[in-house]
Amino acid sequence: MNVKVFQFNGCNKCFHETILLKQNDMEVELISNPKDWKGEKIDVAVVSGYLLPEDKEILLNIQSNANKLIAYGDCTTTGGIFGLANQKGANITPISKIIPESFKINGCLAEIEELTATIKGGEVDKPPSLCKVCKRRSTCEYLDEVHRQIDIFENEEACFNDLGFLCNGYIATECKERCVDYGTQCRGCKPIIDRSGVRMLGMFGTLMGNVEVATEASKYGATDKLADKDDDMTESLPDIVGNFFRFSLPTSGLPKGRIHSKGSILENVFKGRLIEEFPLMTGLLGGDNSISMTLSIIEAYEKGAEIEVNEQTKQYRQKLRSLEKELKNAIDAQDAEKYKDVTEKIRKIAGNMNLSNVFYGGFKTPIDGADNFDDYKAEPFEIKEGTYKNGIVEFSIDSKGVIKEIKIKEGA
Amino acid sequence: MSSCDINECEGKYDNIVVFMCNECGQGSANTAGVGRMPYDPSVRIVRVQCTGQIGPIQIMDALNNGADAVSCVGCCIGACHFFNGNLLSMRRIKLMKKMFKELGYSDQFINQYTSRAAEGETAVGDFEDIVERLCTAITEGGTFENEC
Repeated sequence: MNVKVFQFNGCNKCFHETILLKQNDMEVELISNPKDWKGEKIDVAVVSGYLLPEDKEILLNIQSNANKLIAYGDCTTTGGIFGLANQKGANITPISKIIPESFKINGCLAEIEELTATIKGGEVDKPPSLCKVCKRRSTCEYLDEVHRQIDIFENEEACFNDLGFLCNGYIATECKERCVDYGTQCRGCKPIIDRSGVRMLGMFGTLMGNVEVATEASKYGATDKLADKDDDMTESLPDIVGNFFRFSLPTSGLPKGRIHSKGSILENVFKGRLIEEFPLMTGLLGGDNSISMTLSIIEAYEKGAEIEVNEQTKQYRQKLRSLEKELKNAIDAQDAEKYKDVTEKIRKIAGNMNLSNVFYGGFKTPIDGADNFDDYKAEPFEIKEGTYKNGIVEFSIDSKGVIKEIKIKEGA
Repeated sequence: MSSCDINECEGKYDNIVVFMCNECGQGSANTAGVGRMPYDPSVRIVRVQCTGQIGPIQIMDALNNGADAVSCVGCCIGACHFFNGNLLSMRRIKLMKKMFKELGYSDQFINQYTSRAAEGETAVGDFEDIVERLCTAITEGGTFENEC
């Protein structure tokens, strides 16, 4: 079978994951610059990376040449994490607006097993919802307060949402990355329903039933109405768009944002997000450089906010950095076996390819084979206002931990 | 009253969707009708069992299908005829207001009110406030259409 993979814009993690297709009996070619592709008959075209309206012609050309077109990864299907730039006026378009009849495989990172099954044309089993397989159990009791960071080992049975730790698992299907197993709330990258962000917003709003909401007297009659001032509701969720629409802003049915920003697309994605989300986001969209990018951000903040890091953590980070280099070599050589081997090693330390286990001050969950978890355990940290700089990134956060300014040097 | 003059915005809106609960909300609108109290003709009342039924999905549907403003009118605080539907709806709408602010829009075109079935002026007062707020949003250029 003749398979061609086309990478459009943005992070290329999903693109490189398709190297694994070579383990099956398929003739796979990775095309990183679809603009220069002449066009020839192919059996299956796989599209990855985020799309812009100007990519329409190239996509239609690919579609006319292919028997089957598969959109692979959240960036293509829903706009993905780059879709957050639409908040600041970007125009990232999901594939359904250009080619509605394409096959869609959600996920960040999208699963290669699902892609293989779709290419082969067999029935793809619908995975169960994440809550069904999660080891934590939800009671849906009203929350008294919302926490942005928790010690996950304090209570290992209650659902993150019950602990006031916003988790998008309610609207997600089971997946390979399983951030919930590594002390991270579900990011919601594989939605089980349409308009997942809006639904999750309603769900969490309901859960916040005991959180103080400000009301004021109506002008007429002695009744009440919702007040405009800030209250515990708005204080506890400083970044609603980033928390609920992390992967689905362009398909959520919300209007396009109108905050105008001149920054690059990456800067637009990061501005307004929260400091504890920052390394998780770079882990998602960093592509080849996700490990070094994430670690340099973490180290920038650790240095500025004086968070202690011990030897064991440093060793693991060093190992991750060298694994990143190995991964690049495997990609350059297009070696599927080696790629699989290296990603398994990364998963062992970082939890998954989104680096859910990596955090400020250490790691969130024990790493297999390590001696003493207390040595390298990441603790919830206090947010410290200020400007932080390390290598290619420079960012400043306010007292709530919202990223106000960010600069990322070109070529990163 | 806001800085915006209501007359300035006249004709710039024609659909204000108000979800009114079947108990106090709709009751007060009925009382207002019996008392022949006039209110803005753009107000379209949608009768629901409880404002607790109304969440971001319904509000986004209304806004995406041409509503200029959406509001909920429920029972007074502590007087929900079910349990606490009005309070839950308030919390969801508060989150939505913040979300619209984050996206660069005005947060004045959605809100939640309470009213009393025995007093028609509470409902009419709420409608006036909705129009006033919508006018503020239009003058600020913060609505979906940004007509002003």
